[in-house]
Amino acid sequence: MYLVANIDPQICGATSCTLCTQFCPEANTIQYDKVRKTAFVAVDRCKGCAQCVWVCDNMAKHHAIKMIMIDQLPEEFASKLTKTMSYEQEDLKSSPINK
Amino acid sequence: MSLDYVKATPGFEKYMPKDYRDLIEHGPFGKKVSVAQVGTFKEVLEEHPMCAGCAMTLFIRLSLIALPNPEDTITVGTAGCGRLALSQAAIPFVYGNYGDTNAVASGLKRGLMTRFPDKTKDVVVMAGDGGLADIGFSMLMHSWFRKEKFTTIMLDNEVYGNTGGQESGMTNKGSVLKMAPLGKKFEKIDMPDLAKTAGCAYVAVVVPNNPRRVEQSIKKAVLIAREVGPTYIQAYTSCNIEYAIPTDKVMEDAKNVENDRYQFKEYITEDAKQYLAEKWGYKEYAKKAIQTTEVAK
Ligand SMILES: Cc1ncc(C[n+]2csc(CCOP(=O)(O)OP(=O)(O)O)c2C)c(N)n1
Ligand code: SF4
Ligand code: SF4
Ligand code: SF4
Repeated sequence: MYLVANIDPQICGATSCTLCTQFCPEANTIQYDKVRKTAFVAVDRCKGCAQCVWVCDNMAKHHAIKMIMIDQLPEEFASKLTKTMSYEQEDLKSSPINK
Repeated sequence: MSLDYVKATPGFEKYMPKDYRDLIEHGPFGKKVSVAQVGTFKEVLEEHPMCAGCAMTLFIRLSLIALPNPEDTITVGTAGCGRLALSQAAIPFVYGNYGDTNAVASGLKRGLMTRFPDKTKDVVVMAGDGGLADIGFSMLMHSWFRKEKFTTIMLDNEVYGNTGGQESGMTNKGSVLKMAPLGKKFEKIDMPDLAKTAGCAYVAVVVPNNPRRVEQSIKKAVLIAREVGPTYIQAYTSCNIEYAIPTDKVMEDAKNVENDRYQFKEYITEDAKQYLAEKWGYKEYAKKAIQTTEVAK
């Protein structure tokens, strides 16, 4: 068994600052759900470093992330694997360099 | 190497792995993405074997997001930890022999300019402090003396991380490492200053705990290298294994090191400022360019 990051959607959703998303060393791992207004972790990509916990506790000061055993994940987040994840990016503009 | 290469052959889309389809549908190619939007688009970097919590991983992740034209970029790396991630990105990657990166990149960039005279193709070297400041030092310096138009990024973890902790020219004086048990006897090389002296048009010193600044510096460096001259970025990317930093304290360490010896520094030539202002609409440089002309009058 090993630890992965788990975000409390209630606490995170109150501000959803997206700070941890910018500091996780792994790509495509802490994703942002615009509809539910919360960050979530693609647990199959998480390496368990707990850097996001430090960022949420000390920079964002929201204390929304805890490291928990992978088999203890709440049902809704256990299903967040890369293969069930969706991306939301309606406001991406086309690059001026590619015109 | 164009937008066409991130497409599935018609009729085969449904057989492609989800990661690949995500890249086609939600990737950054042909779009303008920024660090502020991470978590809402598919990044080009895939899973890789770099250590958990490594700051170099974070820096590489941010750098790949910052590239102005990922679909027209080739990265060049070498032995050392960084290539473990760089080689797992949806961006063509050339593995230079240890020490060769800047010679390989010089040839590559010139070849691209000859082969695609009407197109912009960016070449970005990303290699360790050992790879650039020690073994690749002469090729690095000569690429700058020759004013080769590409960006060099040093992943400075102040140690040979991949081979278990030897000192490099970028290790700080006095640091004791597994394979430098008596402590380093010489000062850290002042690479940013050497870069300036050797003729770089843009030099920046950054830390990964300021993602937006990393992004801005990389964008400027890549754009300036297209037309003005060589550019250099030096990033503090701690090795939590060799310096025994607990993974949840990596950002705290980066903050302390930033305050201690890695403050943000930026050097940009007048030509580069004018280029950014005129071609890419950088307002902060437009003003300064006018001021300089007024003073000159
Ligand atoms: C010519 C040559 N000499 C030595 C090596 C062995 N080697 C592989 S990685 C490495 C150290 C890399 O250190 P650095 O460039 O600082 O990158 P880091 O691993 O710290 O990111 C060495 C010496 C090699 N691959 N090729
Ligand atoms: S830092 Fe904390 S509050 Fe902010 S998005 Fe991440 S989990 Fe949510
Ligand atoms: S524990 Fe580390 S890898 Fe996992 S989500 Fe947090 S920062 Fe990312
Ligand atoms: S050995 Fe050090 S630099 Fe290399 S991946 Fe691990 S933590 Fe990062």
